[in-house]
Amino acid sequence: MTNRFASEIANLLAGGGPGYMPARASSVAGDVDQVFWFIFWVSAFFLALIVFLTVLFVVRYRHRASRPEPEATPSQHTGLELLWTGIPLVLVLVMFAWSTKAYLAMTETGTGAEPLEVQVTGKRWSWWFDHPGGKGAPELHLVAHRPATLVLSSTDVIHSLYVPEFRLKQDAVPGRFTRMSFTPNVPGTYPILCTEYCGTNHSRMLASVVVHPDQAAFDAWAREGMEPGESLVEIGRKVFAQRGCAACHSLDGSRRVGPTVKGLWGKEEKLADGSTVRVDEEYLRESILKPGAKVVAGFPNVMPPSALPERDLKGIVAYLQSLKETP
Amino acid sequence: MTGASTAAPAGAEHGESYLTHGRGVASWLLSLDHKRIGVMYLVIVSASLFLGGVFALLLRLHLWNPAGGLVSNDAYNKLFTLHGAVMIFLFVIPGIPAALGNFVLPLQLGAKDVAFPRVNLLSFWLYASGAVLFVVTLVVGGIDTGWTLYPPYSLEEARGLGILLALSAVFLAGFSSILTGVNFIASIHRLRPPGMGWFELPLFLWALYATGVIQIIATPVLGITAAMGFMDRIFHLGLFMPEYGGDPVLFQHFFWFYSHPAVYIMILPAMGVVSEVVSVFSRKPIFGYRFIAMSSIAIAVIGFLVWGHHMFVSGQSKWMNLAFSFLTMLVAIPSAIKMFNWLATMYKGAIVLRTPMLYVLAFFGVFAVGGLTGLFLGALATDIPLHDTYFVVAHFHFVMVGAVMMAFLAGLHYWWPKMTGRMYHERLGVVSAVLVFVGFNVTFVPQFLAGVAGMPRRYATYAPAFTLDNRISTVGAFILGLGLVVALWSLLGGLRSGRRAPANPWGAASLEWQAASPPSHHNFEETPRAGGPYDFTGLRRVSDEAGWVRTEAA
Repeated sequence: MTNRFASEIANLLAGGGPGYMPARASSVAGDVDQVFWFIFWVSAFFLALIVFLTVLFVVRYRHRASRPEPEATPSQHTGLELLWTGIPLVLVLVMFAWSTKAYLAMTETGTGAEPLEVQVTGKRWSWWFDHPGGKGAPELHLVAHRPATLVLSSTDVIHSLYVPEFRLKQDAVPGRFTRMSFTPNVPGTYPILCTEYCGTNHSRMLASVVVHPDQAAFDAWAREGMEPGESLVEIGRKVFAQRGCAACHSLDGSRRVGPTVKGLWGKEEKLADGSTVRVDEEYLRESILKPGAKVVAGFPNVMPPSALPERDLKGIVAYLQSLKETP
Repeated sequence: MTGASTAAPAGAEHGESYLTHGRGVASWLLSLDHKRIGVMYLVIVSASLFLGGVFALLLRLHLWNPAGGLVSNDAYNKLFTLHGAVMIFLFVIPGIPAALGNFVLPLQLGAKDVAFPRVNLLSFWLYASGAVLFVVTLVVGGIDTGWTLYPPYSLEEARGLGILLALSAVFLAGFSSILTGVNFIASIHRLRPPGMGWFELPLFLWALYATGVIQIIATPVLGITAAMGFMDRIFHLGLFMPEYGGDPVLFQHFFWFYSHPAVYIMILPAMGVVSEVVSVFSRKPIFGYRFIAMSSIAIAVIGFLVWGHHMFVSGQSKWMNLAFSFLTMLVAIPSAIKMFNWLATMYKGAIVLRTPMLYVLAFFGVFAVGGLTGLFLGALATDIPLHDTYFVVAHFHFVMVGAVMMAFLAGLHYWWPKMTGRMYHERLGVVSAVLVFVGFNVTFVPQFLAGVAGMPRRYATYAPAFTLDNRISTVGAFILGLGLVVALWSLLGGLRSGRRAPANPWGAASLEWQAASPPSHHNFEETPRAGGPYDFTGLRRVSDEAGWVRTEAA
């Protein structure tokens, strides 16, 4: 323990490698750490400068018998002020630019394979992950080098999903969906921590993320122990039928009271007020809870709001998405 | 050197002071005298620091072992909530402006009192009622929402009566703060003596002015937010609770629209104290007066536009995040300007290492770390992993506790002779400054390391890998606590056995040192004429008993 601490301090002072930091297991972790060390060394320089000058001045200009009075010096100097305004300003702008570049990469899925989309639900005090193909699990499963998109929501209070090894974190907020996009790049198992205070067992709201070395390993996991009727798509199909949605929203593209749901997912809808909106999970949530908010052009505003439980809502989203995927 | 020759009263030997003007409890509780109100604030502020400190030590003890152990998770959650709420609303925000500011501001203006003495008393009573409500909150079982009070958690029925009392307490303390801000701004506008233009104000007053601006613009939003939370909980209005169609992130915007500028309500007066002390104890005029004054205003203005950095991971759009990140990083600049001007003030001075100056030197180190680590949290790429980890805890403790408390203690020791007419114990003061500085760093440096390694905040239990960091931190907290006890001993001991303070024990040039120590009820027999607040020419030290006197020949 003591050795670990000492070696971490040494690492920190040496500014080197992962050291004190968690391992790097996502495509952005390296860039984040570069920004970190840049800011660290600039800060270390200024801290050293301030401490050095303070100590130097106190030692040299300390009031004592041989130094009863201060020396007369000017009490202003515009050149100096510009210097110590200008240099920090330039450094801060460089930090901002570098950080922004890394941050933009942190918000994008990246190119390459089609992202693996996982529905994440936080609740006191556990996480639930619905993977593509319908497998739900208390831990998150991903594939190394395949981009991942997590769609987060919460059934009670705000939680936050944090994986130190990915250098990423995102709140799960009740009443809306939030997203995380990244590419894990080192197979292994990493901890998931909750970082938004959520009550009694906040510190025990732990899970893990398993990064499979390849798609085959993921598929093998996704098939095992899979029970029918539990996937989000199945839940959605059931809710859609039980609630009688099809009375107004056809499955085959025919026009009824409301727009058809065939090919709806991802479509650009033209609204009554002339604007357009992309059909995604956030739009579907709003249209189910507050149908009058964004009415599609050419349709009457007659749908009653329905207060669906969070999981049913996610089911509907997954179901409509599945209609798009399997034409 | 006109105006530099006002005869200073020769010490405390001229009869009645504000402390003896009127006797009995009512003469204090209903006093309109800014000095008595300042002292009453000081008493409650110090009691709050003690209470918040006890909570801190308890929660640090709990964290000695990874599995916790001292108390249950629920009790731990209440401890950190009350520690935060008491420290922020009852100690750090009112500490310097309401306690020291109330006492010093009219004296530095050469005035008899603040512009609205009755409003000042009202402000004190609102604050005291808020403090009492916090204590009642404790009695009914406390709250476990975190001081940030985020819904939906905070507004669930299960939080009980405590949250309603806490919201009311915040509302009252907030209004007290607004009224103090109004009073200070009006006083600085209207009560400046002849000869004191805007650029002859002591920098402490510039700092209080900038603070007042933030208080009257931002604090009403806190009051409104507390009221809205109250309504949402009682009447289910659906403002913040998703259950009723509200948006919890909206609360975060409102809350931080106040609570981020509140950080500047805390730090600006601290910077004002530092500007006074560093000049007086270096025996040199402050360097770059206008830049220090204007950087206070710049911090106040930019400080309003950075609240969104608290929501970097809430799902806010990335363009908003970028704008807030940019503005946040800009705030570093005015702070850097101040830092370098203070250092330049010390250059070639004759630095007197008394307790107030030692606390200011401690402030330099601690504030530099607090400010620089803010860069990691303003930059988006590094904020995202560090957000809501112990790195954040350490960062804001360096700024809010470290820097503000060091400056508070510097100011308290500096003005203590003026407030009480007695000197504190110098040797104990020095010991306290060293203990506080060492204890503080031992407590919070390991928290930076734990945060970088990924330990989230507000955890009642933690991974065993963080045991050592937490234990060092706990040891540090007790050293810090000991340092504060020694500081109290130095100050209160001074009341009993301290040397009588002369009017001007430090050789300072601002007007409060022309009044007697302690001042009379009306502060000044006649309105003094202001010279430069940092013009030390002609000040000569006579003796310990007589202090410094301004001589005619300059």
